[in-house]
Amino acid sequence: MSAALAFAFAALTSTQPEHREYFVYVACESSDEVYLTGFDGENVHVLERVSVGVLPTETEGAHGLTVDPAGDHWFVSMAHGKPYGTLYKYTTGANELVGQVELGLFPATMQISSATELLYCVNFDLHGDMTPSSISIVDPEEMVEVERTTTGSMPHGSRLSPDGTRHFSCAMMSDDLFELDAMTFEVARTLRLTDGMGGVPPRRDDDHHEAVAKPTWVEPHPEKPLVYVALNGVAQVVEINLESWKITRRFPTARGPYNLAVTRDGKQLVVTYKGAQSIGVWDLEAGTELGRVPTSRRVTHGVVLSPDDRYAFVSSEGVGAERGTLDVIELETRTRVATAELGLQAGGIAFWKTEGVATR
Amino acid sequence: MHRPRLAALFASLVCTATFGNAAVAQEGEAPVAPATELKLVVEPASLALEIGETAQLSARVEDAAEAPVEEEVFFFSRGRRSVTVDAEGKVEAFQPGNFEVIVRVRRQESEDGERGQRLSVTVPVVVAKPALERLVIVPRAGGLFAQTNLELGLEATDVRGGVQAVAAGDARFQSTRPAVASFDAFGQLFLHAPGTFVASAEFEGVSAEQEFEVRANPVAALELVADAATARTGDVVRVTATARDAAGAVLANHGVPVTLSVAARPDDDLGAPAGATIAQDGRFVAETPGLYTIVASTGTASASVNVRIEPRDVGAHFELIGRGLVSDSHTSDLWVWEGVDGRDYAVTGTWGADGDAVFWDVTQPEAIEEIARVRVDARTVNDVKVSPDGRLCIIGREGASDRKNGIVLIDVTNPRKPVILSEYDEELTGGVHNLFIDGDYAYVLSAGRRYDVIDIRDPQALRTVAKVELDTPGHSIHDVWIEDGLAYSSNWADGVHIVDVGNGLRGGSPENPVPVTDYAYPSGWNHATFPYKDPLTGKFYVVAGDEAFPYGLNIEGSPTYARGWLHFIDFSDLENPSEVARYQVPEAGTHNLWIEDDVAYVAYYNGGIRAVDLSGELMGDLYKQGRELAWMLPTDPEGFIPNASMVWGPQPHKGNIFFSDWNSGLWCVRLERDGGER
Repeated sequence: MSAALAFAFAALTSTQPEHREYFVYVACESSDEVYLTGFDGENVHVLERVSVGVLPTETEGAHGLTVDPAGDHWFVSMAHGKPYGTLYKYTTGANELVGQVELGLFPATMQISSATELLYCVNFDLHGDMTPSSISIVDPEEMVEVERTTTGSMPHGSRLSPDGTRHFSCAMMSDDLFELDAMTFEVARTLRLTDGMGGVPPRRDDDHHEAVAKPTWVEPHPEKPLVYVALNGVAQVVEINLESWKITRRFPTARGPYNLAVTRDGKQLVVTYKGAQSIGVWDLEAGTELGRVPTSRRVTHGVVLSPDDRYAFVSSEGVGAERGTLDVIELETRTRVATAELGLQAGGIAFWKTEGVATR
Repeated sequence: MHRPRLAALFASLVCTATFGNAAVAQEGEAPVAPATELKLVVEPASLALEIGETAQLSARVEDAAEAPVEEEVFFFSRGRRSVTVDAEGKVEAFQPGNFEVIVRVRRQESEDGERGQRLSVTVPVVVAKPALERLVIVPRAGGLFAQTNLELGLEATDVRGGVQAVAAGDARFQSTRPAVASFDAFGQLFLHAPGTFVASAEFEGVSAEQEFEVRANPVAALELVADAATARTGDVVRVTATARDAAGAVLANHGVPVTLSVAARPDDDLGAPAGATIAQDGRFVAETPGLYTIVASTGTASASVNVRIEPRDVGAHFELIGRGLVSDSHTSDLWVWEGVDGRDYAVTGTWGADGDAVFWDVTQPEAIEEIARVRVDARTVNDVKVSPDGRLCIIGREGASDRKNGIVLIDVTNPRKPVILSEYDEELTGGVHNLFIDGDYAYVLSAGRRYDVIDIRDPQALRTVAKVELDTPGHSIHDVWIEDGLAYSSNWADGVHIVDVGNGLRGGSPENPVPVTDYAYPSGWNHATFPYKDPLTGKFYVVAGDEAFPYGLNIEGSPTYARGWLHFIDFSDLENPSEVARYQVPEAGTHNLWIEDDVAYVAYYNGGIRAVDLSGELMGDLYKQGRELAWMLPTDPEGFIPNASMVWGPQPHKGNIFFSDWNSGLWCVRLERDGGER
């Protein structure tokens, strides 16, 4: 750990020991950087900026971020390399590069399963013909790709069931939700997300379906057999019952719902609105939007929640040379309480840890 | 047919764990068994397979009393392209080497949320290299002659039919008649006297024998002549050896090896190295002034010739003419052209910024004027090109907020008022790092993966007509340049690839590109390429530039220390390209280059802008030979990174050299010949 970082940690932990401190990583896709930030309940600080990638004069695209369940390592996916994208592994805190593995075209969002201890990363592949892409399954211990499973066009929103045995992703350009068996690495079932949506062309078998719903994220409920999917193309979030494998509710949202997060108590859903520079906070039981909170920059992107369900950490890309930001939004009051300027096109976001003592 | 070799069938690996308890016994440890302890038992504990062989792993979970416990077990391979394992534990070997198959139990959480301990077993899998079946000694064409030495070839064939060349130093040689022929410890064969002998070789358990006849060396005398008695550093001098028999007759096509060597007497005797090279085909070049003695020898005959090497004395300097400062962002590539109004213009890109292309009036280069900016949705406009008629500019986009990137076409008929005509991102969404305009087509890189050929005749109806992509594993591309109907692409580890897109050499066209030839070098740093035909010798070189940042790229605050050099590849024989020379400035790294009138203008990043004399045949290290004409470090205290040269790309235009610098914008210099020593 650098001296500056150690000082920052010390400052955060010594000045307000009665508060909790939250540590969040954010990736900046157009400046190939990852920022470690710390939020002390009042202010969010940049603790370290880490340059990532191997092609310094090209934009490789740091997109997806995740932290392993033990909190020892963080992983960032880079969209393209020579030419395939690469997954990099760093130690948390010291932020030292310790491993890498080449994946497919535009590896994007990912998560590590608590059941298999393997990492599942979608290969977003937005280049060229909209042909089916894949999920890379990686052994994060040795950083080797152990399997690659074909799914749909432009898969995104890689998330695992709470028990880690089922992996969900949605194919943005083929309007499908995929469920993968996390241990056999095989597709268990597929759901067409335009089902029940009026005016949508019938499904074709040649994978040249004209995308309508454009799903960008899937988020499992922490307790119930439900997942929520952001339909970016039609401004909806849909709820899918995993037992009936059907869409059970539709929530009309602001323009461009993009990323999702559900509180640990399963009561609220936070939606980033990429096209509306804001987030929405939803009451899942009532199915109503409790409120919207503007973000500090255009192109609102990712969201993670603090484990105590108090705060939403939201990344916003910005446009052009405008720096991206990390906003901290208090869920109870639904107000933005802190903002930090980061690098260009802040997107991927991962919660690392909480330190200190809760005040409530 | 090979018998399966399942090693350690009797053995097993045991991994023990306890739910809700941090204690875990390591593999091989005697477990201390709490009541809830579980064990994962995998049999066999390791595998030794041959290629194509399969084996079955069994796995079971037991409690401390060794009673079976129902748990979900899964398998995966850490080398799936070499060894596979299916969901039932069946292992199959495809490639030789050492690999690992992992057997793991689904890890669960206890009711209070505590994670159960991991149950995971690693099974080592050794896949044997196919045994060698045959070894062959390859005789030297032309026969063997007494009082010469050489290296014999060796070829090994394995049981699966794979053939490999074996280096002489890796094998053990013996001769049956050491008085006729003997081998040294490095596998070199020394032929002492006429006669016959049997050479035997042994490598990895297989051996070969071959009988040889050593003939008397017919060469009684040698003559050696050079095509120049005096030359300059960097000039290639050719020497020719003529062999005569005892009667004084010239031996034509004698086939006897003649060895060339050189001894140096540099003018500077103050410890300076006397770098000089004599190739065995007779090409000689020196880096240091002095007297060089070139010696030819075979058997008891030898001859020598002296060559006097003078300093090259090609001194010149860059005269600063003018500049256009860009201090609010990094500057990327440039293009300079004569506009339709007869004035001269330039366009530069911006890097890691707001997506600007900056237009300049450079008619009076001593007073460069920024005249317009075009902003597109991008963070980096890396490459900018203008059509030969001066009307159409195309820029590439990277880091677009909608991630569609692609290219933007701009009408620059009036560069003071550039007008965006259209955007095109069909299969270009991964970012366009470089492009080139040639005739009615643009050659555009797609996501560093390939280049697409796009018909640009109607800017409102662009059409991709061809795609050029390599098929090598992990292939990638960085740049493409078109000249005389040949496309020269720079492909990192895959090197330079030349494709006929209208030259006629292979019948190619823009809509039907046909590969011609290629050349790769080991570093994998191939970044830019420029073709060059030397008018004096007729030799055709392709100059391949590196890009490397072993110490990183500093985007803010402090200078960058790049590395890399120019590789001169002789493509005169398209089927047999060979790398013959380099230009390597110490402690700096190359980026883009341009060659005009036998002078290479090289953007050398932290090494500034450089000019290099390419006249005549090329061989060896051009920098050390004193072929560098001039250099300049462009710095500015108001630069984006102050006082840090980072030259991106040069372009000669109407007698001046324009270049972009990553930290300070657009510059114009003139190469002034001094006619003397640098």
